[in-house]
Amino acid sequence: MIPFKYNVRNLRVRWKTTLMTVLGTALLVASSCILFGLVEGLEHSLKVSGDPLDLIVLRKGATAETTGGFESKKADELLTLNGIARDGDGPLAAKELLNIPAAERVSGTYNNLIVRGVEPASRKLRPDFKIVAGRDFESGKGECIVSRFVAKNYKGGQVGGQLAFGEKEKYRVVGIFTAGGSSAESEVWADLKDVERNTGRDGSVSCVQIRAAGPEEFAKLRKEIEDGAQFRLAAKPEAEYFATQSDVSTFFKAAGTLIAILLTFGAMFAAANTMFSAVKSRTREIGTMRALGFSRGDVLISFLGESLLLSLLGGALGLLATLPMSFLSIETMNGNTFASVNIDFRFGFWVMAVALTMTLVMGLFGGMLPALRAVRLEVIAALREL
Amino acid sequence: MKYLTYILRNARRNPVRTGLTVASIAISMFLMMILTSFFAAMTEAQSASKDFNRIIVMNANGFAGQVPIARVRQVEAMDGVVAATPFSWYGGKYQNQRVLFAQFAVDADKVFDTLDEYKLPPDQLAAFKAEKSGAVIGPKLAREYNLKVGDPMPLQGDIYPVDLKLNIRGIYESPRNTDQRMVLFHFDYLDDQLRQLGSSSGGSTTQPSSAAGNAGIIFVKCKDAASTATLCKKIDDEYRSTDFPTRTQTEEAFGQMFSEMMGGLKDIVYWIGCAVVVSLLFVSGNAMAMAMRERTTEVAVLKAIGYDKKLVLGIVLAEAVLVAGLGGAVGALGSKALFDVVDISPFTGGFLPFFYVPWSVALTGLGVSLFLGFASGVVPAVIAANSSVINGLRKVV
Repeated sequence: MIPFKYNVRNLRVRWKTTLMTVLGTALLVASSCILFGLVEGLEHSLKVSGDPLDLIVLRKGATAETTGGFESKKADELLTLNGIARDGDGPLAAKELLNIPAAERVSGTYNNLIVRGVEPASRKLRPDFKIVAGRDFESGKGECIVSRFVAKNYKGGQVGGQLAFGEKEKYRVVGIFTAGGSSAESEVWADLKDVERNTGRDGSVSCVQIRAAGPEEFAKLRKEIEDGAQFRLAAKPEAEYFATQSDVSTFFKAAGTLIAILLTFGAMFAAANTMFSAVKSRTREIGTMRALGFSRGDVLISFLGESLLLSLLGGALGLLATLPMSFLSIETMNGNTFASVNIDFRFGFWVMAVALTMTLVMGLFGGMLPALRAVRLEVIAALREL
Repeated sequence: MKYLTYILRNARRNPVRTGLTVASIAISMFLMMILTSFFAAMTEAQSASKDFNRIIVMNANGFAGQVPIARVRQVEAMDGVVAATPFSWYGGKYQNQRVLFAQFAVDADKVFDTLDEYKLPPDQLAAFKAEKSGAVIGPKLAREYNLKVGDPMPLQGDIYPVDLKLNIRGIYESPRNTDQRMVLFHFDYLDDQLRQLGSSSGGSTTQPSSAAGNAGIIFVKCKDAASTATLCKKIDDEYRSTDFPTRTQTEEAFGQMFSEMMGGLKDIVYWIGCAVVVSLLFVSGNAMAMAMRERTTEVAVLKAIGYDKKLVLGIVLAEAVLVAGLGGAVGALGSKALFDVVDISPFTGGFLPFFYVPWSVALTGLGVSLFLGFASGVVPAVIAANSSVINGLRKVV
């Protein structure tokens, strides 16, 4: 076994080449990691949005809360059903009404925002609902609370500002909320009554959110809402519902994978290039080692190890470069609802997996051919080489 | 020119290294072409729509707002308007699956006058106009689902609580950079069902925008380019103080609105593009530096026999530009050729109605790779040009 120190020293001696290769591959790894960090963030927000005991009730046939409205009368009856979890303030269930008006960004461009009219229980139905700045809105006063990203990106979205969607729909921003990273963090929340009045849609709701008291009640509630003659609505488990809302995530993942694959190949060739040159300039050394009695296998492992070390440096640096990205969040459009969605970069499984895969592929496949060439050298010819 | 052979021979001397550098640049360029074309093709299609002098009327508060259907006729009566049609997004399901092709309720009599680059054979157009439940679909959609004229095409409502039992009466032809996966059907067919529903169940359509009588948006064909701007203003002024104020813009601006909505996604794509370029600078610079290091003695010989600094500099730079340019040509022009031949839109599940690499993007890619070659060659070239002859001749590599 050729000591590993040999490879480390070699990389150090050729530090310029090593540095160039490491920087080059690190950038490629970082690019892929950023994309997958966004996929991760998106999936996380969808995952935490669904509580296992939560049901979302929509009109039958509708696939999203932005499209599935039904009558308020039915919704009121839903709230009185047995089996809904309760606390001191009443049942954990809420009628919600969504509107998707266009809003102007700080940059002057437009996107559609989801304005959600909510009831007090809506807050308890989201994970970790918290007011982080200002205060919660008071009912019936035309006030609203927004997520941090709306406050940052939209005109009038700051505390004390006013979000105006045309003449009739205006809300004063009184606070900023977070909801455990769930999808609610892309929305504007206002009082249900205010949204009903402003949009002229009293008498209807977009969806009803219900938390069941337990797994048994969950199944019973679901059956009653779907089959009961007075309802005939679709009651979907929230977890399932949010899984179907992940079209954007699928696209991101597909695009991210394609980009990662192409970048891996690019990086692989770069690593191979460096290793080929390393092998070539060390032909005599290899001959010497073989003459000293190191086997072909030893040489192969040694050069593969050096290549892996090289790509490991690149991979680690690339991964490191994504650390400041934890603050990265992008705002884009959800192709499903045509409404704004905020995606936070999240460091997790996917990012690690991508960095690791790229590093291994780069190191092993990039190093394989040069290492094989080193192995195939004839001892005599190698020693004779200049 | 007489040095070209020498430069070519040098580039070919280490075919593995040159090959790897070319491959690495080509693959990265290929990726950049895909990323930038995604937005460039969209922009190009939008500006292409300028020739058709169309404007689009929507509710001032976005798509979710209403535009009363009566306004289609009112707008059509205005001076300078050739034709107008509602364009109402149905957003339904096909085979009970959520699908990614657009379905629009339109005025069958006017839609092909408004969208005049969309062609339909006269017999098919007549059949479409004659049948209330008739529909016209795009050629790509027909291919994908194996649909022919005469086939039924039932759609299930998602936004709307009504289903449609459509029959395909025609398959349109349209230019490449337009949506060839649309379903167009009679506005009245949808609207009548919504009206019946409204009167029978006491208004079960609870979202006003999905109630009867909403045109969604209106596509307006204007007489000439000059009249588009005045008409936009005139229409908005006309409805300013009504319950449903409008926002009217040219088709180009309307399309731009969608790419603007993509927001931060665009920035990420550009960042990645920049990272790739910088990374390539390292990679090809490294390769060139390695090549020159091996040739230290040779460069010294060149200088010893009378080649001056400038010439050595030029020869090294030329080699770097040549190698990078080759990589760029393969990546940029190759991707252009590939996507001209292969249509990838079915694989994106309709996310991209069309995809191609515009010439502007391909040539930019080629330019970027030439620049890459130049920039990556500068340092090794300067080192070679300034190297000392004595040391070079003495050095054993």
